Amino acid sequence: MARVVVTGVGALTPLGADAVTLVELLNQGHSGIRPLVSPWIKNLVSPLAAPVLTPLENRFSKLRRLMLDRVAQMSLWATSEAIAQAGLNFAEDIGLECGIFWGTGMGGATTLEAAYVESLLNNAARPRPTTIVMLMANASTGQIGMEYKIRGPSTTYSSACSSSAVAIGEAFLAIQSGRIRYAVAGGAEAMLTQGAMKAWESLQTLAKADAQHPETSCRPFSKDRSGFILGEGAAALILEDESSARARGATILAELVGYGNTTDATHITQPDVDGQVRAMRQALNQARLNPDQVHHINAHGTGTLVGDAVETRAIKAMFGETAKHIPISATKALHGHLMGATGAVEMVALLGTLNTRIVPPTAHLMQPDPECDLDYVSEGARTLKTLDVVMSNSFGFGGNNVVLIARRYQP
Amino acid sequence: MLVEEFGLTAEQVHPDSKLEELGVDSLATVEFMFMLEDKFELKMSGEPVTVKTVGDIAREVDVVAAAQGIDLNAGMPPQ
Repeated sequence: MARVVVTGVGALTPLGADAVTLVELLNQGHSGIRPLVSPWIKNLVSPLAAPVLTPLENRFSKLRRLMLDRVAQMSLWATSEAIAQAGLNFAEDIGLECGIFWGTGMGGATTLEAAYVESLLNNAARPRPTTIVMLMANASTGQIGMEYKIRGPSTTYSSACSSSAVAIGEAFLAIQSGRIRYAVAGGAEAMLTQGAMKAWESLQTLAKADAQHPETSCRPFSKDRSGFILGEGAAALILEDESSARARGATILAELVGYGNTTDATHITQPDVDGQVRAMRQALNQARLNPDQVHHINAHGTGTLVGDAVETRAIKAMFGETAKHIPISATKALHGHLMGATGAVEMVALLGTLNTRIVPPTAHLMQPDPECDLDYVSEGARTLKTLDVVMSNSFGFGGNNVVLIARRYQP
Repeated sequence: MLVEEFGLTAEQVHPDSKLEELGVDSLATVEFMFMLEDKFELKMSGEPVTVKTVGDIAREVDVVAAAQGIDLNAGMPPQ
């Protein structure tokens, strides 16, 4: 079995235009949550979201933008950063040995909504001819391939909040098994549209806005938590067969060692302790690690009442007495819930944690909850002397549980 | 319109310019035809037409406009 290493990361998030800025701002406890500025925002109960503020327009020509929904623009942005860091040129023969594994929840939501508005409300004779190729879930995947001449297998994953974590896990397996040598893995989401946000609002999972400090409205593991804040963005990882990376002298950022993927088979939205425990155990078994060897967890930690309590119970069930000694961070308090992109964004953040040895805080945890009684790093970023094995949890609607484990690379 | 809507330069856009070389693929060509229909209130035939150059599009629009009695210069600023 090949060892799988990470040689590049990229992130475009509510916390900036690159991966380094994401990690720095998380450690500073900087929140990307703010009232959305839009003519329709008055139609929502809460105007809060975690938007990407980086202007995208100048990155692509007008002609190119004709084919690119916002989600694909974000996908290309993050991928560009990751490929540049890895220093790979897929236009050469290695493009045949590289796969694309990309996750998204809703794909081209902006395009879909515009088409509905034009067709159903404005009685337009026809939507734009590029509507389908912009809204389809695999549009970003195809555009990444075209942009970088990546010609190996490509698959698009859609499992709600775990989409891009699945993408990274499946890319890991494909390289481990020898099917490919390189992978672009990650995901993107851009669904801050009126229709999508109204639908989320109806589901009663969004956080109530704090009138005085709106940027603190998402409060994972805090007793006064009330839900999550929708965000948008993209993140990409370049995964590579260790021998290829070493042969070309690449800088290895981390080694991916474990991937767990299970289904609750209980409820379409309610999380399940057993399903989450099985996913963590799978990942640990694959990594050949004992529970006491995990030094940090980036939790799914969305800030919902039920979700955070269930995840706490699952971590306790998996780690036993060790659980209370593991620093756990829920970074969604700061970057929002980026849905299909969130697993990849949190993985990029986690690799930043591994490399800086600084664990980001779970921000806005101001009221401890007896049901959530672990170490959530609520006091602010913490430097750890020993930080070599890190875990990321991503649990999606539909009952999909994904756990990824990375460790400091040792030749 | 190719300059304004597609971001091409005036130097690039000539009757003999090949659409493919301008980066205007078949989908973008359809998009452009739709834009022309909307702007001039034309109705293209819907029949397949071989369009390879900017001039091919202009000729097709001229033919359709003439058939439908539409003055393409109406409302345009004087030259």
